[in-house]
Amino acid sequence: MSTPFPEAVDRHLRDVLIDRAHPLVLSIDGEWNLLAAKGDCAYWGFVADQREEALQTVRDLFLGIDLSVEQGFQFVELPQGQAAHLHLVPDGAQMHVVLLDARGDSERQRAGQQLGNEAELAGIEKNRAINRLKQIRSELECQRERLEEANALKNAFMATLSHEFRTPLTSIFGYLHLLERRLAHDASTQHSLRAIRRGATHLLGLSENLLEYGRGESGRSRLNPIRVEPEQLAEDLRVMFNPLAREEGLGLTIEAESVPVPLIHDEVRVRQIMINLISNAIRYTPRGSVQASLRWDGEILALRVIDSGIGIAPELRSQIFKPFNAGGQQGSKGAGLGLSIVKRLVDQMHGTLRLESVPGEGTRFEVDLPPLGSTQASTDPIARQTGDPESWSIGGTALVVDDDEDIRELVRTLLRDLGFQVHTASDASEGFEAALRLCPDVAIVDVQMPGLSGNAAVYRLRAQGYKGRIISLSADDSLDAREAALSAGSDSYLTKPINIERFVRAVRVAAEKSA
Amino acid sequence: MADFARKICLLGDFGVGKSSLVARFVRNTFSDRYLTTVGVKVDSKQVVVANDSVKLVIWDIAGKNALDALNQTYLRGASGVILVADGTREPSLRSALYLLMQAKSLLQNPAAVMLVNKIDLIDRWEILPATLEELRTTMPVFESSALNGVGVDAAFQDIARQVAQ
Repeated sequence: MSTPFPEAVDRHLRDVLIDRAHPLVLSIDGEWNLLAAKGDCAYWGFVADQREEALQTVRDLFLGIDLSVEQGFQFVELPQGQAAHLHLVPDGAQMHVVLLDARGDSERQRAGQQLGNEAELAGIEKNRAINRLKQIRSELECQRERLEEANALKNAFMATLSHEFRTPLTSIFGYLHLLERRLAHDASTQHSLRAIRRGATHLLGLSENLLEYGRGESGRSRLNPIRVEPEQLAEDLRVMFNPLAREEGLGLTIEAESVPVPLIHDEVRVRQIMINLISNAIRYTPRGSVQASLRWDGEILALRVIDSGIGIAPELRSQIFKPFNAGGQQGSKGAGLGLSIVKRLVDQMHGTLRLESVPGEGTRFEVDLPPLGSTQASTDPIARQTGDPESWSIGGTALVVDDDEDIRELVRTLLRDLGFQVHTASDASEGFEAALRLCPDVAIVDVQMPGLSGNAAVYRLRAQGYKGRIISLSADDSLDAREAALSAGSDSYLTKPINIERFVRAVRVAAEKSA
Repeated sequence: MADFARKICLLGDFGVGKSSLVARFVRNTFSDRYLTTVGVKVDSKQVVVANDSVKLVIWDIAGKNALDALNQTYLRGASGVILVADGTREPSLRSALYLLMQAKSLLQNPAAVMLVNKIDLIDRWEILPATLEELRTTMPVFESSALNGVGVDAAFQDIARQVAQ
């Protein structure tokens, strides 16, 4: 038996400990009726009208537990915020619950534990960052590219801006396509549709140039090699520019030779170069003609745009490739970005750009681009499809998941035209449920949606064992975005504005695989 | 309508989002500030399962990759366990499965669901879809986000349904 303390010390110690522990002893019968409460009732909320609720809280803590033996719980944070050490002491027909304040102990332990956990989490992040850096270094060595972390935020901003531009343009071009097919072919209607297409084309060119300019010199150094079909590209350009040339009274020819082997290139950039050069030629050719061509000679993709326009004076030739050079040419009407963007894109693709011009007679632009990949095999199953996409009637069931009502309805209309029975969902969660319920042949899923993202929904579907074909649709044309969607489980990836023919091919490939 | 209560324990490695999931489920709130849990934090919420009102008394146990003696005491009387893993940390899934094994050795046939949290960070996930597809053959699995609430109510509703039987 230990020696008792002097009475004054004993009293002091009891006072100090009681002050610190705020002890409360609840005596309770077998039906959890409170027989007595002794100690710091106020601290634990055992006062007046709160007593029942406080007792219920304590009772809940012993749910499912054998009350005939002593029990104890350390460091229990109660719903009301107090931290307690709890002890249950059986005593014949009744029992006692002892509550001791654990706040001090808890805070001390929390401080140490918080530091330890944060250090470990930081360690995990650090390891992750080191691995990422190693991966980036490896990519840099392999691809000889330079990525700057400072551009990440800017790129994210540009991706958002890109989405804001391309989503409405998708609606405009998509519905315009439908109107051109369905409306009467009288002169007035055709004139109106041409005016809409001219305006939309101008807006598309302008927005793509602004986006490219905004990305900066290093923002888009990664190329996106896919199979390019010069003939198809020429047809797209004819559809885009023929009405404009007719309005201006110009002769326009855009030619391309079929390529016997798959040609791998960055289609978006090639298209943007041609759009800018042809648009520029039409703008500065008051009368006469514009001739454009895309040719593959086995080693080089040669782009040529020749006009009989006003030409460029020798002293202005060094200026026209600088941004915002709208005043550089007589009668200029554009934003002055087109040719600077062309030069940047050609540089990015390690190509060459030549200019010959005679003032008053015309201008000739020559762009030579080396291929970006093997010309022996295509990596893009969509591009391998040939034939007239308009003639395909595919059929089956489809699900369209997009938060933008206009895009949703556009895609639905296109799919219906292809013979599909179409269901729609306006967000990723609804789409996730619908896909599991309906098991459509093809699901078209927008990537950027509020709440659950399209990629997250695709991942969740695949994690459920969903085997249906999924096509992701996004305004982001970067390789990273494409890879993220494919990693999440998509079968293919399409960008906005929707290229109708490419869309049809993708749906056909998906439907065939589904079948 | 029957009215009864069941004790549910949340288990998982630290920092996977257990307390955030409880805050989202009980109070519909979220904070991105990480605050470690000491011991256990107890909350409760009433849910309805097939016309029965079930009070879930939720024990949010401090995160660890294995149950120590202190944490084992918290499991007493539990009817079910909610395992929580962080989709961006693959090892946290293994910890959750180990914790489930420990819990099964201490409790008799506990109900169980798995929450794989942080689906809002899907681009950083380290857990493959096929892993969850396989896991789903053994127990209910929910991809969740305490940040935007995806999967949270569904998971708690599922465990409530199991313990109400």
